[in-house]
Parts: sequence; C-alpha cells; structure tokens
Amino acid sequence: MILLTAVAGGLLAGLLRAKIRGRRMTSPNLRFLWLVVTAFILQLLAFNLPLTRTKLPDQAASVSLILSQFMLLVFAWSNRRQYGFRALIVGLALNLLVVVANGGWMPISPETVRRLILFAPAKSWFVGQRFGFGKDVVLPVTETRLWFLSDCLLLPRWFPYRVAFSIGDALIALGAFHALWASAGPEKESTRGSHPQEIKL
Amino acid sequence: MKRTFAQLSLMAGKIQPNHIRLALAVLALALFVIGAGAPESGGSVGE
Repeated sequence: MILLTAVAGGLLAGLLRAKIRGRRMTSPNLRFLWLVVTAFILQLLAFNLPLTRTKLPDQAASVSLILSQFMLLVFAWSNRRQYGFRALIVGLALNLLVVVANGGWMPISPETVRRLILFAPAKSWFVGQRFGFGKDVVLPVTETRLWFLSDCLLLPRWFPYRVAFSIGDALIALGAFHALWASAGPEKESTRGSHPQEIKL
Repeated sequence: MKRTFAQLSLMAGKIQPNHIRLALAVLALALFVIGAGAPESGGSVGE
C-alpha cells in the first residue's frame, strides 16, 4: 500500500503543477491496459483474497507472481516512451530479477523481519519459509542471491508506518510519481513522451 | 430530486472522454505499482 502513496502524491503534485502553470492536464496514451488488469487479478487471487490465497499452494502463488510481473514488464516496455516508464521498467526488472534468483519469492532477512515487526506472535514466521501470505520469503543474507536487491530497506524509525522495501520498489514509486507529475506538461516542448490528450481542469 | 438531476447533468457535461482516459491511466498506474512492487509491512503474518 505504501507504493500507492506515490501514485496519490504524483496525481496531487501533477494537478497542483498544472494549476500553478495554467497548463492543461494531459493523459498518457497507455497501450495494453488489459495486461495490467490480468496481472492484478492473478496477484489478487494469490496474495489478497482470503478465500483463494489460503487454498493456493505456495508454488502456484510463486508462479503467479513471476507470470504477473512478466506481464507488467511487457506492459511497461510497450509504453516505454511515456514519462516515468523507464524508472518503472528498471524497478520492476530489478524486483523480477531478485525474485527469480531466489526461487520465485522476494527475499527478506530475519534481521529486517525483527525490525519490521517488533512484537511478532511466537512461531508466526520461520527462516526459509514464506512470510505470511505476502510475496516475501525469509532468507538469511548469506543464503540470498543479489541480497542488495531484496527487501532490505526500511523507513526511518520516526515514520509512523513500518515497511520493508527494495531498490526496485523505490524506483517504481519514483516512476509512478514522475508519470503523473509529467501529466501537467513537460518542462520544455520535446519529442519525448506522447501526451497528446490535453485536459483542462 | 429535480435539483440533483440537474446537478448530475451539469457534471456529466463537464466530464469529457479525456477525463475518463486520465482516470484510467491513474488506475492503471495504481494497479501497476501494486503488482510490480513487493514491499512488506508484515500485515498478513500470523493470520
């Protein structure tokens, strides 16, 4: 959910920027939207809906994760000329790389888990196993391939929300913010990014 | 009732197809970040 704040923040910033500059809000022409919807449904069934995620074997959930992220990569690549999509592509590719390198799950170290959940119920997580019903697996750093791309980053302690995230996640947030920020029109007229649909708000 | 209908009609007149296109783009980006990202808050642990 933390990544959605980047979308909300980007939209607000874009609207504010358009208003201040007296520009028109533009809408990107995104291709293959059905890929995003299909990928989302796959992940909804595997990780979110209680009825399905408890019945789906871990292996099937892992395949769903890889397949859906590959579909999202195709979508992002198809729209690579849009603003922000280069960061989205790199971020997603880094996440997909570390997931594939570690058996189909995003690794998180036991140390990060202890810092993430200060008062976790006893036996609620185990090293080498999936972490809850999420996309992560608890793996020691020594057994993690490309550990620096895993969920090894944490928000500062003073921040009210605790979450572990990867470099890929940070790039995805940056790309989503930029995509919506740029909807208020480019700094200078250029050939990059095709935002032909102007909307006066 | 009549007033509400009139307000809705006015609103509908203001909504252009491009507004819907922008809303779809925002929705697509929201779904994209949910699917592409893998942040962990530990919310589903112990369920």
